[in-house]
Amino acid sequence: MAHREVESFERLVLPHLDDAYALACHLLRDEHDAQDVVQEAVLRALRYFDGFRDGDARAWLLAIVRNCCYTWQRRYRTDGLSVSYADAETSSQLRGTDTDAGAIRSSDSAVIDRAVASLPPEFREVIVLRELQELSYREISQITGVPMGTVMSRLARARKRLASSLGLLIEEAS
Amino acid sequence: MRCAECRDALTSYVDGELMPEEAETMRDHLASCAACAAEHEMLQSLSRRLREGLARPRAPDVLKARIRSALSQSTGVLADVTTPGRPWTGLLVAGALIAVVSGGASFAVARREASRPAIAEQVLSSHLRSLMPGHLTDVASNDSHNVKPWFNGRVDLSPLVPRLDSAGFPLAGGRLDYVGGRTVATVVYVRRQHVINVFSWPTEDRTAHTPVTSIEKGYHVVHWSDGGVELWVASDLNARELEQFVTLYRRE
Repeated sequence: MAHREVESFERLVLPHLDDAYALACHLLRDEHDAQDVVQEAVLRALRYFDGFRDGDARAWLLAIVRNCCYTWQRRYRTDGLSVSYADAETSSQLRGTDTDAGAIRSSDSAVIDRAVASLPPEFREVIVLRELQELSYREISQITGVPMGTVMSRLARARKRLASSLGLLIEEAS
Repeated sequence: MRCAECRDALTSYVDGELMPEEAETMRDHLASCAACAAEHEMLQSLSRRLREGLARPRAPDVLKARIRSALSQSTGVLADVTTPGRPWTGLLVAGALIAVVSGGASFAVARREASRPAIAEQVLSSHLRSLMPGHLTDVASNDSHNVKPWFNGRVDLSPLVPRLDSAGFPLAGGRLDYVGGRTVATVVYVRRQHVINVFSWPTEDRTAHTPVTSIEKGYHVVHWSDGGVELWVASDLNARELEQFVTLYRRE
């Protein structure tokens, strides 16, 4: 591959490594696996860089990362995608070294991480893409390969589950 | 607007995905319906809590370094990480040029010769990276029964993890590293304050090569191959002790 092409790849794609890694961490719930998958995804992205000319490099990279995560899980994990990673240890590992947050906030963070981690993957990914990456329905639809209407309904159902597990559910008057 | 319609559109409304006139209708309804307004408030506060609380891990420096190193190799020919057993793919251009003039028989040799210094350099930079805080091991243990199985399913080779602590080379652990366009198994030993990294990966070339020690930027790098496995050792340990280590490691 020409040097110039790799340079333009680096300029467009590398700024999104943090987002790519965060998505992989939430989908795989394992830092080491996430590192391997992001690396594989970036190299795969480079191979297909010919096919990407303009558009949103972040959404394009995240789509590849997402696919690599699911391929990785099919290849290496016998426990499948529906496994619940909702234990505190995984959550605190995922949290990394960010110690800026106060004790109260970080305890809420652990609760939130657990709640999100226990969502089924198709709900977890839309929550992460929407709330963490702040992507539009159109972008989320491109990344996950499902129609925008499905993105919306998955978000609605994911939030209902989160509201319930976080104790926010409003009692409906019957 | 009926409450049922409002509830259906609430998610899109909170996410700012409604058309302006639809959003207007929603606003009117929410202003006049306490139940829907409460639901709206709940969704907004949930969203806020998620944005503030959800873990946002940043890509570790070692990952960025690995990716940059892999990309810098790809300027020649793209490093093929998806095909195991072809560690030299990134150097095919050099190899192919030589092969054209010298024929197939010397192709493998020429390719090896061309690639060795490049691999030695990468082995050394992986070694140096491993010395940065927190980068030495993915699995830290002085027990080979913990380290060896850790590699299962992570690399396409089960590396040798002999116990050498009685000879003064205690095991420190293992990690995955990136050399020659592929993920490789790395076993880590220590000698006093010196770190010894042992990199190994499978190769199609089944001829054995005895260990050769070279000096890269003041560090010792030893390379050999045994029956389809390519091995590299890097350390700042003196050559004599490092060769002693290699002899013991190979004996297993």
